Amino acid sequence: MAKKRKWWSSLLVVSLVGVLFTGCSTNNTASSPTNAPAATAAPAESTAPDATEAPAADAPVDGGTLVTSTFSDIVNLNPLLINDTSSGDVAQFVFAKLYNLDREGNVQAEDWSLAAELPEISEDGLTYTVKLKDTPKWSDGQPITADDVIYTIETGKNPETGSPLISQYDKVKTVEKIDDHTVKFTLSQIYAPFLYALVQEIVPAHILKDVKPTEIQTNAYGTDPAKTVTSGPWKWTAWKQGESHTLDADPNYWGTVKPHIAQIVYKIYADQNTEVQAIMKGDTDHISAIPVTQVEAVKADGDIDIIQKPGAQYEYVMFNFDGKNFPDNYGLFAGQKTRQAIAHALNRQGMVDNILKGVGALMNAPFLPDTWADPGEAAVNYDYNAETAKKLLAEDGWVADPKDGILVKDGHRFSFELQYNAGNSRREQVAAVIQQNLKDVGIEVTPKAIDFAAWIDQNVTPGKFQALLLAWSLNTPDPDAESIFSSKYFPPAGQNSGWYKNEKLDQLWVDGYSTVDQAERKEIYKEVGKEISTDLPYVFLYQYGQAIGTGPRVHWAEEDAPEPSLGYGQFFHAIKWWVTD
Amino acid sequence: MTEYLIRRVLQSVLVIFLITILTFLLIHAAPGGPTQVMLSPGLTPEIFEQQAKNLGLDQPIPVQYVRWIGDLLQGDLGYTFKNHIAVSDLLWPRIGNTVILMGAAWLVSLLIAIPWGIYNSTKVYGLSDQTASFISYLGFAMPTFWFGILLQQWLSLKLDWFPLSDMYTRGKEGDIGDLFMHLVLPITVLALGFLASYMKYARASMLEVLDQDYIRTARAKGVKERKVVFRHALRNALIPIITILGLDLPILVGGAALTENVFNWPGMGRWFVEMAGAREYSALMAVTIVTAVIVVIGNLLADILYAVVDPRVKLGKQGGKTA
Repeated sequence: MAKKRKWWSSLLVVSLVGVLFTGCSTNNTASSPTNAPAATAAPAESTAPDATEAPAADAPVDGGTLVTSTFSDIVNLNPLLINDTSSGDVAQFVFAKLYNLDREGNVQAEDWSLAAELPEISEDGLTYTVKLKDTPKWSDGQPITADDVIYTIETGKNPETGSPLISQYDKVKTVEKIDDHTVKFTLSQIYAPFLYALVQEIVPAHILKDVKPTEIQTNAYGTDPAKTVTSGPWKWTAWKQGESHTLDADPNYWGTVKPHIAQIVYKIYADQNTEVQAIMKGDTDHISAIPVTQVEAVKADGDIDIIQKPGAQYEYVMFNFDGKNFPDNYGLFAGQKTRQAIAHALNRQGMVDNILKGVGALMNAPFLPDTWADPGEAAVNYDYNAETAKKLLAEDGWVADPKDGILVKDGHRFSFELQYNAGNSRREQVAAVIQQNLKDVGIEVTPKAIDFAAWIDQNVTPGKFQALLLAWSLNTPDPDAESIFSSKYFPPAGQNSGWYKNEKLDQLWVDGYSTVDQAERKEIYKEVGKEISTDLPYVFLYQYGQAIGTGPRVHWAEEDAPEPSLGYGQFFHAIKWWVTD
Repeated sequence: MTEYLIRRVLQSVLVIFLITILTFLLIHAAPGGPTQVMLSPGLTPEIFEQQAKNLGLDQPIPVQYVRWIGDLLQGDLGYTFKNHIAVSDLLWPRIGNTVILMGAAWLVSLLIAIPWGIYNSTKVYGLSDQTASFISYLGFAMPTFWFGILLQQWLSLKLDWFPLSDMYTRGKEGDIGDLFMHLVLPITVLALGFLASYMKYARASMLEVLDQDYIRTARAKGVKERKVVFRHALRNALIPIITILGLDLPILVGGAALTENVFNWPGMGRWFVEMAGAREYSALMAVTIVTAVIVVIGNLLADILYAVVDPRVKLGKQGGKTA
């Protein structure tokens, strides 16, 4: 779009009908109100016949195309196999879930959820009864019933399928059909996070029931649009591999709330920089993640709304407690005081301010700030203080080598390698800060960037490294993190890659999911927060977020705005968004 | 000639076969595999092991190779592991896209570089020669992606003369005029790179020829300068240029990953990098095969053109030239 002309036409519109647009700026959470009218200035230069002479921009219009983008193509849209963000993105539009999350991360039966009401949980916390609406249909017209739910859960928890859902459903003992629209789950133990496992897309049993579990991956369902029956407001019309997906509003969509947007194009760009250029050009209307380095440039463009808020992910430094990874089997991180010293030595706030440009929140425990499980003050906060760090290191027996100032204990130099994945510019910067911060207290760090696939395979999964810098994306709002901290989950089968063992915590994690009473759980996670922040299997750095950008054509009412704190929250309530040309 | 061709083709087949074995071993030696994508709490490595097993990736490498080559001999390039899409469905469209982009850039640069280089060889250190030198330096020194971004900022975002990226505007797929507009910026970037080297080659090989005794003889006989250059010098000067062009042929299908990234061009270079990152073995092998075949063809073409241009070269028994 020609910027100059646009600016003039916005001005014109402002002067003529400025009063009309008060409702419009409700969706602009992070930018100057001047860009709100700009959206309606578009008719001046668009040829679209339906260029509604600016209805008050708070009234949704039907039709139009929303172009959203990403920087890697999908893998597979079959909900049994979804394990990458792009496939997850597209699934948000084409599949209905049993339940959905509201803005606060609570499980709800929304108008567009398959379930009619919240599940009925038995007194003993072991059975969940889910009632489905009787209206939902697949895009081929077949009804969505209890059979589909049962098929999805059973296939997902079957180890032969190789489905990532196994971790959500491995505590399901039986799943039974009460009637066509009622399903009863019986768990083998009380498992509080199970409620969130019901925020799940369902697959069509009538299409897949005869496919062997070992052949689900090679089946065309999920990779061929013509063979992928869906259940959401939009259907998957076309996929040009490596280029784009076309999703069209499904005329037979069963929901009472219909989507306004007629077509969604999900474009694949080569990388984030190309994507950012494209949104500035107007080639795309929505971008899930603007790199921190580019946010300022996009803001300067003036047309793009930016929503920046930390999301459901946090970065950490993981220590390896397995001595085998160190020279002479001497685990450098064995001392609790040593780990606490490292936490004090790191300038975490500086990282948030300078590298994340302020969009991040410090964390002291593996629970996201401002969620119900956040232990707050109960967790130990390590302020940035090199003196305290040095003191703790001295107490733990580390003495500076007079030659170069590097600390030594029992004849072992305090020198380790910090691994991270190559190509991640944020981690590259953070690793450099860590190196400098620790050098200040006499610890020598060698940052090492490794190709992601190789790194996971050779180091992370088998637990072979000295320390690493990585992040967890939390795909459910439940605070349970047993699978990454408990000694039940040592490598190579589990994800406790640092071989961390703490019996008290092992028990607390179990207690934490063995009751469905949230107040009780809150107390337990407070205790977890206290213990884990004292003992420090990780140094928890910060919760961070991606800046979501939307162009001037996209609109929503305030309650339907993107919600960065939720997984896939960049498309929160997209069914209610509309676009203007 | 025929006998020579048959011998060359047989040799080539053997070479390509050895290349496939070597490549297969190399890409399988790289750590990681096609099934590992994301880290989330609860996604244990066991899940990915099961997926690898379902895809036959748990078989010994020789078994996997035999299976792959067996499929290949039946004309089947296999499927991607991640989502079981036929590699041929992915490969050919990308080769087409890349040939359009690279072919156009190549042609543009040859049409400028060779005449200009020849002209400059006749007027060494003149204004035109100096200008060409300067442009060559730019072409060698400027990182393509940086130059590409610069052009985008200026000619697309600021002036809005050309589209920013992609091959077609959405909804105009297949429109030649639209394609042309989308080609201008990436071609400018790529052609500048080619231009630099081809111009230098053309100029250098002309200068070398113009220094020969027979040229001096021709001039001494009073042959017109124009005729000296075009009749006597050019044919000999073209020989090394043809060699270079033949060797550069694989560029046409190999694509240019960085430029394709910047301009979001759905071509081979970008796809290859993507597939390497994803450890898509079948896709990588397909690219290897295609590239190897093109290299062989390029060399063969260069040799044949040699014979056309240079009457002294005889292919086959009497000639001393074999690959």
